[in-house]
Amino acid sequence: MSSELVLKNVDKIYGAGAVHAVKDLSFAVKPGEITALLGSSGCGKTSTLRMIAGFETLTNGSIELDGRPIHMLPPAQRGVAMAFETYSLYPPLTIAENISFALKAQKLGSQDVNKRVKDMAELLEIGDVLNKYPSSVSGGQQQRASLGRALVRKAGLYLLDEPMGQLEPQLRAVLRGRIKHYLREHDCTTILVTHDQTEANALADRIAVMEGGVLQQYATPAELKVRPANLFVGTFIGEPPMNVFPVQVKDDGKTVDFAIEGSGGQSLSYAAADFSQTLRNRLKGETALMLGVRPHAVRIGKQGLKARVVTCQWLGDQTHIASEIAGRTVVSVSHEQIAAKPASEVFLGIEPGDLHIFSSGNGAAIAHGAQLV
Amino acid sequence: MDHTSNLERIIRGGLIALVLIFFLFPIFWIVLMSFQTNETILRIPPSIFFEPTLSNYSALITGKLKTTAGNLDLAFMKNLWNSVLLSTLSVALSLILGVPAAYAFARFRFRLGEDIAFTLLSFRFAPPLLVLLPLSLYFKQLGLTNTYIGLIWVYQLICLPLILWIVRGYFEDISPDIEHAYRIAGNSWWQTFRKIAVPLAMPGIAAAGLLAFIFAWNNFVFALILASADKQPVTVGALAFVTASGIQYGQIAAAIVLSIAPTLALALYAQRYLVEGLSLGAVKG
Amino acid sequence: MPHLELASISKAFKTNKVLADISLTADAGEIVVIFGPSGTGKTVLLRLIAGVEEPTSGTISIDSQDMADVAPEHRDVGMAFQNFALFPHLNAFENIASPLRARSQSDAQVKSGVGRVAKLLKIDHVLGHAPRQLSNGQKQRTALARALASSPKLLLLDDPLRNVDAKLRFEMRLELPRLLRQAKSTVLYVTQDYKEAMALADRIAVLAEGRFIQIATPADIYRNPATVGVARLFGDPTINLAETTIGADGSIELAGEKVAIDKSYGIFAGKNVSFGVRPEAVEVMNGRGAGLKAQVMAVTPLNERTVLLLQTKAGAELLASLPSSSASIPKAENEVTIAFNPAGTHLFDRETGAALARGRA
Repeated sequence: MSSELVLKNVDKIYGAGAVHAVKDLSFAVKPGEITALLGSSGCGKTSTLRMIAGFETLTNGSIELDGRPIHMLPPAQRGVAMAFETYSLYPPLTIAENISFALKAQKLGSQDVNKRVKDMAELLEIGDVLNKYPSSVSGGQQQRASLGRALVRKAGLYLLDEPMGQLEPQLRAVLRGRIKHYLREHDCTTILVTHDQTEANALADRIAVMEGGVLQQYATPAELKVRPANLFVGTFIGEPPMNVFPVQVKDDGKTVDFAIEGSGGQSLSYAAADFSQTLRNRLKGETALMLGVRPHAVRIGKQGLKARVVTCQWLGDQTHIASEIAGRTVVSVSHEQIAAKPASEVFLGIEPGDLHIFSSGNGAAIAHGAQLV
Repeated sequence: MDHTSNLERIIRGGLIALVLIFFLFPIFWIVLMSFQTNETILRIPPSIFFEPTLSNYSALITGKLKTTAGNLDLAFMKNLWNSVLLSTLSVALSLILGVPAAYAFARFRFRLGEDIAFTLLSFRFAPPLLVLLPLSLYFKQLGLTNTYIGLIWVYQLICLPLILWIVRGYFEDISPDIEHAYRIAGNSWWQTFRKIAVPLAMPGIAAAGLLAFIFAWNNFVFALILASADKQPVTVGALAFVTASGIQYGQIAAAIVLSIAPTLALALYAQRYLVEGLSLGAVKG
Repeated sequence: MPHLELASISKAFKTNKVLADISLTADAGEIVVIFGPSGTGKTVLLRLIAGVEEPTSGTISIDSQDMADVAPEHRDVGMAFQNFALFPHLNAFENIASPLRARSQSDAQVKSGVGRVAKLLKIDHVLGHAPRQLSNGQKQRTALARALASSPKLLLLDDPLRNVDAKLRFEMRLELPRLLRQAKSTVLYVTQDYKEAMALADRIAVLAEGRFIQIATPADIYRNPATVGVARLFGDPTINLAETTIGADGSIELAGEKVAIDKSYGIFAGKNVSFGVRPEAVEVMNGRGAGLKAQVMAVTPLNERTVLLLQTKAGAELLASLPSSSASIPKAENEVTIAFNPAGTHLFDRETGAALARGRA
């Protein structure tokens, strides 16, 4: 049942060349895979979803489902189920009728329909509002009903547009888990559009990060974190965001030295042996670079960069510490509860394996974890 | 993609022209008439070709009208001055009374508040003729007949409800938080009203003032009954052109042109405020 | 002596009771966060303190002076609003200057005062802009600067980070404590984000249905929630809850399976309770050792942690949260053994929701 979706060189231009919303976009979603289109507003993710659903024509390129071009078909013939950001529930129908409405075309017995609606309602915790009308339930419940209406159908491809933005915070984690389990169990090929990286990370097998209509990177959540393709992806993915410093690199054969600009002469020094020879050769040509370190990789200890604590905040399951090196803020995060007094002095240690090196020109990644990209 | 074809553009242009002709032709024709003598105006068939004359305007300005039945004195310039005086002072008084009242209605809930506001609005529903007879009797008793003060007072019936209701909507659109912020910053109620509420409602106040001015200017009945020749505005003064020797179309046209000129100029100048003000556009921070 | 004192304040709009019997004291320089879900009357409370609304009953005192007859402009309070409430017809400079001008300071004083807070909040380059020309983040900083400009003794911040995006919110969350320390004001900070509350507060006052349910330090609220409601509001993912009955040996039953937690729970034997366990206190082991068996339904990463949706053999659903760096993160469909770290477990009365006990490490 699950299908493979392939986008080939898709372009979308609005208004006689005025807005190039999607530029030469190609990616494939494997059968049963959950892919998230992630980006801030105006990045082209919603245009892409609308083209796949059939609400928008392509300017160039093609979209294929199981090898069959679908981009010329009207939306109803594409075999696609969709949950809309604005819910789009039918106001004169109850929540239960809204969900079962999607099953009408499948000619199921009423018992079968009832069972499926009940199971879906249980999964989404809307069992107690099934007989209410959309206007009399909360936004979060409407969103869950809309999601239920999309998921209850059998379709080759499921499109979910910001499916969890309005969910009650207390339910979010459990529903993410249940929905992910449901999609996997039913082998649903799914595209999820979101601006919330937490949601994308939680649900998706692979994430397509978009910015300015261009696909920046298409990879697993783990890979986006460990091996971001460029500075944009590096700083966009990850909460709290990656620390980035402009640095000057010096390699005297024994040590590799990254002098942090504007830090009053502080630098990160590592034994040359910590870096691969190919990387050292590559860095020889470079002087100015951008150095990125994830907050979790900044360890507070006895050695390293000297910094002054600005803020230390414990959030129950993690501690966020902001410290300053000559006016530049460095954020570090620990899973433990740490007490660091504001204005006290600390040392920030960073392992060579945790460094991300980017070109300061175009922002392309040069090295991750002391290895050339 | 550009969807408009040439045909669409032509049709749209034609329709716009039709609307413009419908609304502007009378004004155009009046302007033409004001430059003609009664003879050329009344010839049959009418024609737009004639020898222009300023005699109508000069008659109005000098106040001397020559007709076949002899010479006549006109008080037109005096009427025009009366109109300016009455309308301006009425609107000014309405603003002084109406803007704070509108603020009170918008911001404070008090006993009978809605009823009072509605009663004020209902003055606009009542036909003026309904109140005229009792009013003229009162005015005689009070000695207000044929005084500017009396007329300005009566004109509040026209101006005040308009200003109150338009400006009230405007005050309601201002977020109370903005005013709270200014008060917490250390300013009194009165300063907050002057420095925050009034400036932010200014487009609405301007629009309401302008509309009130036009309505006051165009009023006919009140002035006809409650004032005699030397206090009458142009709307009533124009009656003088219906003379024993016939209707002086040329002068009437010239008088109309002169009397609509101030309101037209005002309206054109304040067009932006008028549209903004009447559409009750929200004040956004 | 407390700087701010609220004594049994209540507020009703016509018949609609918004706040009931609110009492709170705040010491000079203390940051008290008023936390609660939306619609619980947090904003109304700040308005009462600012003086733009009047309480139905109760007294508000600042520096031991009853504020009942003191107009808002004389309370020496600074306030930042959720919707910023900038004056749209004044530029950023004049917005920030308004409290200084109201205190009839000279132009030179105003200029230096505005310059000082603008620099602190990094908006000195946009002071000439009108509010509509400012980005959301700049608007929010301008609104904060305006509240801070006159160095008020009492600062009321009404969810000031609500309307800015996640990155800015995070940045401001780290920056605010220093700003507030420098301002030396007593701060009442309203938010509905528990992380913001924990990060900024000296004490948190949890407001629900118009009442304070608990007023305590962040650590205390997180570790010793007074009610099951408070426990549910703090923590992401939310605390796991199960209705159960305590056994004689202090064990609980999870969908019929007996689990030993803490012997001290034995004193509640036979009682109907809600058993709560924080997701980070659910220990997940890959081995086949003894203990509660569960299947991993889904693996959902959450920032640097990984959240597992687990289902026990008997069908109970549980969330576990592990550091993503830990070596033993199972995959979906894996069988695992789980145990509960007693320190992260809680017992609540099933009827009243009040906390009964917390497990000991």
